[in-house]
Amino acid sequence: MTTRAETALARVSTGQPRKRFNLRWITGMGPTAAALIAGAVVWELIGQVAGFRFFPPLSDVVARLVEMTLAGEILPPLTNSLTNLAIGFGFTIVVGVGVGLLMGAYRRVETALDIYVYAMLTAPSLVFAPILFSIFGLGRAAIVGVIILYTIFIVIISTTSAVKTVPRPLIEMGRSYCANDRQLFLRVIIPAATPMIMAGLRIGAGRAVKGMINGEMFIAAVGLGELVTRAGNRFDATSVLAVLILIILVAFFVVRIVQLVDMRLTRWLPETQRRKK
Amino acid sequence: MIEVKGLSKAFMDRNGEVAVQALEDVNLTVNDNEFLTVLGPSGCGKTTLLRCIGGLVPWDEGEIAIDGNPVRGPGQDRAMVFQSIALLPWASVLRNVTFGLELRGVHRSEANDTARELIELTGLRGFEKRMPNELSGGMQQRVGLARALAVDPDILLMDEPFGALDEQTRRLLQEELLQIWEETRKTVVFITHSMEEAVLLGDRVVLMSARPGKIEEIVPVPMERPRSANVDSVEGSKAFREVTTHLWSRLRDWQVDVGRARR
Repeated sequence: MTTRAETALARVSTGQPRKRFNLRWITGMGPTAAALIAGAVVWELIGQVAGFRFFPPLSDVVARLVEMTLAGEILPPLTNSLTNLAIGFGFTIVVGVGVGLLMGAYRRVETALDIYVYAMLTAPSLVFAPILFSIFGLGRAAIVGVIILYTIFIVIISTTSAVKTVPRPLIEMGRSYCANDRQLFLRVIIPAATPMIMAGLRIGAGRAVKGMINGEMFIAAVGLGELVTRAGNRFDATSVLAVLILIILVAFFVVRIVQLVDMRLTRWLPETQRRKK
Repeated sequence: MIEVKGLSKAFMDRNGEVAVQALEDVNLTVNDNEFLTVLGPSGCGKTTLLRCIGGLVPWDEGEIAIDGNPVRGPGQDRAMVFQSIALLPWASVLRNVTFGLELRGVHRSEANDTARELIELTGLRGFEKRMPNELSGGMQQRVGLARALAVDPDILLMDEPFGALDEQTRRLLQEELLQIWEETRKTVVFITHSMEEAVLLGDRVVLMSARPGKIEEIVPVPMERPRSANVDSVEGSKAFREVTTHLWSRLRDWQVDVGRARR
């Protein structure tokens, strides 16, 4: 593989004039962009050529998304869904990280709770949908409940192990300088555990979007989930895919926010320890 | 003054049986302003002894008292320097040095002033804003030392602080530690597995043997201070050679015994 720098060098050394168009301008945007463009092209081609009824070309789908947005069909359910997401995932961040910190720091709390946490992590969250539905009715609370069930256990587990993997020497150092439990938590344990806690929240963010849509489709027909369900019932594949694209964008956006917070909080990690983001 | 009387500590295995007798009936007095080095083969319990004095681990029998007050945990009269250095990787050099002060509720600006003095003393000037992972091992341990000195302890407990450094860095830091000690005159307990280090730095060398960890001998080092200005002539002196030769003859016997026992 030749890098851009090398080709630039080659150009200088051979005195070649700069080309008008270079394929590298596209591939240079990175493999992600290249893959997205390739995917879009394939989708469009299959849609145009094959003409399956339930697989419209990308251009139709995008056009429909614009059309729906302009008609005001997108914004209200989107706001509704994002509100559910914010409440549910916000609860998970506060309570999940809190419980995880306690479980990681205190052996007794961990042994008391971890059987429940693991059981709930493996249980399919939608099993609890009827229960939530009967407690909260068809409202926002039921959907928020689903989002929490989808996200909180993975966050608890990753926070617990984050605390448990804080290097012993750091804790000992803190104690030797007479840190009390609270100071040890705030000044040593939590900062040291932050990279792994954030990794858990990144996974949690993706699951939160999944939980949101499932809740909206299968419990209370509201928000983007309702939009998908209605379009599906009409056999309107173009609208289904249009909303799907929107949902993926929402998921991407949410995960991206978590990533940005993560990068801000863990700037101190040396380059080599940083996972590629 | 640190007084250790009849100190014993065992580490148990999973069945509750004694796996290692880390310390057995250790008796030791460290005088004020003394630089005491503790030398012994690995696994002789010297680090355990230091951690007991630091109040970081409980022991089975015996007493430790500092100026007559029994040790029941970490205290503000002691500060530790660790072999693992244990800097906070998310905090700058300055914030690492102020760590102990901030825990004590010292005001930020006052803590900064104290830290700057010690950063100067330990040769870290200009590195205040660097992060630990940007520093070499030697520079990191200077931060560890500055952090300990910042809380102005009566006693400095140093657990093989230069053990993980390369030879040149180690020698440089030994010289600088001597210099700093000559200026500050703290009581120091310094753990090492290097004979030369023990003799160069110490007023007395405590020689420990392993399994069970016991004090075999306390060897006075009859060399004048200050030593920092002429380390080379100190190391070339007759006294230095005599003490190290004596220490080695003891250590060698045990190494030979251990070798035979293994076979």
